[in-house]
Amino acid sequence: MPLDLYYHPVSPYCRSVLLTARAVGVDLNLKKIDLFNKEQLKPEFVAVNPQHTVPTLVDGDLTLWESRVICTYLVNKYGKDDSLYPKDPKARAKVDAILHFDIGTLAARWAQLIQPIKSGKAKKPCQEHVDKLHEALEWLDGFLKGVKFAAGTDHVTVADLVLVANVSSYQAAGFIVEHYVNINSWIAKCKQAMDGYEELNGEGVKSFGDFVKSMIKDE
Amino acid sequence: MYSTLNYLLLFIALPLTVHHSIHSDTEHRPIAKIYPRLRSNVSNLCVTRVKMPDFYYMDLSAPCRSVMLTAKAVGLDLNMKMLNLMAGEQMKPEFVAINPQHCVPTFVDGDFVLWESRPICTYLASKYGKDESLYPADLKTRATIDRLMYFDMGTLYFRFGEYVYPVMFRGADKPDPEKLEKLQEALGWLNGFLEGHDYAVGNSITVADHTLVASVSTFEATGIDLSKHPNVVAWLARCKANMPGYKQANDQGAQEFGKMAKTKL
Repeated sequence: MPLDLYYHPVSPYCRSVLLTARAVGVDLNLKKIDLFNKEQLKPEFVAVNPQHTVPTLVDGDLTLWESRVICTYLVNKYGKDDSLYPKDPKARAKVDAILHFDIGTLAARWAQLIQPIKSGKAKKPCQEHVDKLHEALEWLDGFLKGVKFAAGTDHVTVADLVLVANVSSYQAAGFIVEHYVNINSWIAKCKQAMDGYEELNGEGVKSFGDFVKSMIKDE
Repeated sequence: MYSTLNYLLLFIALPLTVHHSIHSDTEHRPIAKIYPRLRSNVSNLCVTRVKMPDFYYMDLSAPCRSVMLTAKAVGLDLNMKMLNLMAGEQMKPEFVAINPQHCVPTFVDGDFVLWESRPICTYLASKYGKDESLYPADLKTRATIDRLMYFDMGTLYFRFGEYVYPVMFRGADKPDPEKLEKLQEALGWLNGFLEGHDYAVGNSITVADHTLVASVSTFEATGIDLSKHPNVVAWLARCKANMPGYKQANDQGAQEFGKMAKTKL
């Protein structure tokens, strides 16, 4: 029986789950939530997830949100082996560290940058926020130096599946510049290695980029 | 005091003894079992010891304290290396060489370097836990623990930071009441998650509790009103009473942070 996934394709967090589900060969029953019209606040969805966020996964009697946890859960439960999320404690910790860098540093700094614009308080990002995002991108560029994939592995893990959805989105919004050599080459590797990348991530990335650019007005 | 034979055997046996920590069982190789007096001499001398992991931390930091709680729970001694972030000690070249993101907590176990507190907690539980109670392998339980740890990072503590950090560290005049409302909303969600059981997931302590209690105790010490969230209040009391080494690992640091925050809020 397919699992239910409440989602919206513009959200990089949702796209990471789509990529992971494809990687482990799990079918998803996609239920689109219209975030732009605040459909996530409707009582029937709040009953499913009191935090009313997407992505939200329903697998039998388990309802799960937080995209990175959905990804690791899908691999733990449905993965044919542990290559996407190694069981060895040290290797797993390295993957987890990247997942936490993604939520706590990279995505957090993006959120701080875009929030004033989304809420209409500013027409373009403030320099301090831009600098903080670029600092995080410099760190990421450093982590990717000399390694094939994000957690230091020679193959894709959930660290890459999660990170690439975010990073490719920032790229579409114009924030990944050429001098991030390692980030750019890693994105290219992900596009090659990830099954369904264009279908599951490419289109959403484009919408994300268009949406951000439409909000940021040069004065 | 020691016979010549014992000294001779010590030089052979010492390289063969391995300690995980002062408090965990010492693993002795067969040579020490053959010579009981030697075994006791080896234990007494304890000269050869695998290096304790290094732990770079600051007491004020809730994420650091969550790791200290997990370390206490698994009985792992850490070589504590305090960094005063307020004085910029994390920017010293020798620390940046270890961790280019120069953040705490940072955990160094031989050539294995790890930062991000929640992965450190789950790593310690997986590697050093005597059983899996702190981080059960059951998929549903584990996913719920993971969800709560991300909830703490991305929502609960994040919203606390949004409320207090501008005033404490970024020169803002006064805190934003809208940000406090968002924090209270997140505490309301936590209150709901705690309904019907003693700890964050089920009825025994897991790493989710270590992470969450480090945050929530900090909120309490800062004067954040928890009275609308009775499950949170009861759970907090339970954690304080039942977590090994709570006072040393978490309480002191939370109180210090609270004192500092109150002068600005």
